[in-house]
Amino acid sequence: MDLDKVIKVAAAGLSAQSARLQVISQNLANAQSTGTTPGGEPYRRKIVTFKSVLDQATGVQMVKTGPIASAGGDFERHYDPVHPAADKDGYVMTPNVNPLVELMDMREAQQSYQANLSVIDAAKSMLSHTLDLLHG
Amino acid sequence: MDLGNIPLFKAMMSRMSWLTERQQVLGQNVANADTPNFKAQDLKPQSFKEMLAGTTSHLQLAATQPNHLPGVNAAAAFDAVADKSAETSPSGNSVSIEDQMLKVSSTANEYQMTTSLYRRQIGMLKTVLGRTA
Repeated sequence: MDLDKVIKVAAAGLSAQSARLQVISQNLANAQSTGTTPGGEPYRRKIVTFKSVLDQATGVQMVKTGPIASAGGDFERHYDPVHPAADKDGYVMTPNVNPLVELMDMREAQQSYQANLSVIDAAKSMLSHTLDLLHG
Repeated sequence: MDLGNIPLFKAMMSRMSWLTERQQVLGQNVANADTPNFKAQDLKPQSFKEMLAGTTSHLQLAATQPNHLPGVNAAAAFDAVADKSAETSPSGNSVSIEDQMLKVSSTANEYQMTTSLYRRQIGMLKTVLGRTA
């Protein structure tokens, strides 16, 4: 059944986008997570990667999430000598998470998720119209 | 009675499988809307001339008898072409979600139209058979 494949592809899209959302929420939740030892590294921003994979069983290009990568970039430094993670000069490194960037990313993930849901809706309506043929 | 022997039904069946496959290609595009280097695809539009000649799908084994098997060529019965309607983003992805959504809904609408036509034709056949549709 071909419409089945449509729903499968869209479902793969849904799970990829929700994995992305999970990583985004992880980043946002850890936006203030500093190290605990003097001079220790804080939380590093994570990025989810997508790749398209040919599904052998159905012959369609599914989407899969690749390995979750750590983002490069420098940490910000704040002067806070009493902090447990302060280095010998009194500076604390804070995560390289920019909440604005994360929120933009979240919006995009949400939009793609909705698009996949609409595809499922369209496929379902096509399927039900086919089944309606039985009613004569 | 094989409805596929009636040209109109044959045309509608091929239209329905074209629309189904197009929906699959569009679903693929939407699922990969954020995949780097993914190029959007679409099906080659069906033309009336080809439809009349019955050559819209790929070459198939000639069947000289109705009980001949059609062969397994079903994976992709129609030609997929690159969809160049939207610009390519810096990540190399050329899927525009807005564009794809429009196509998905118009495909679903056309499918509904085809099934309605199909039902009308069946109704006419039933009228001929002396039953009310």
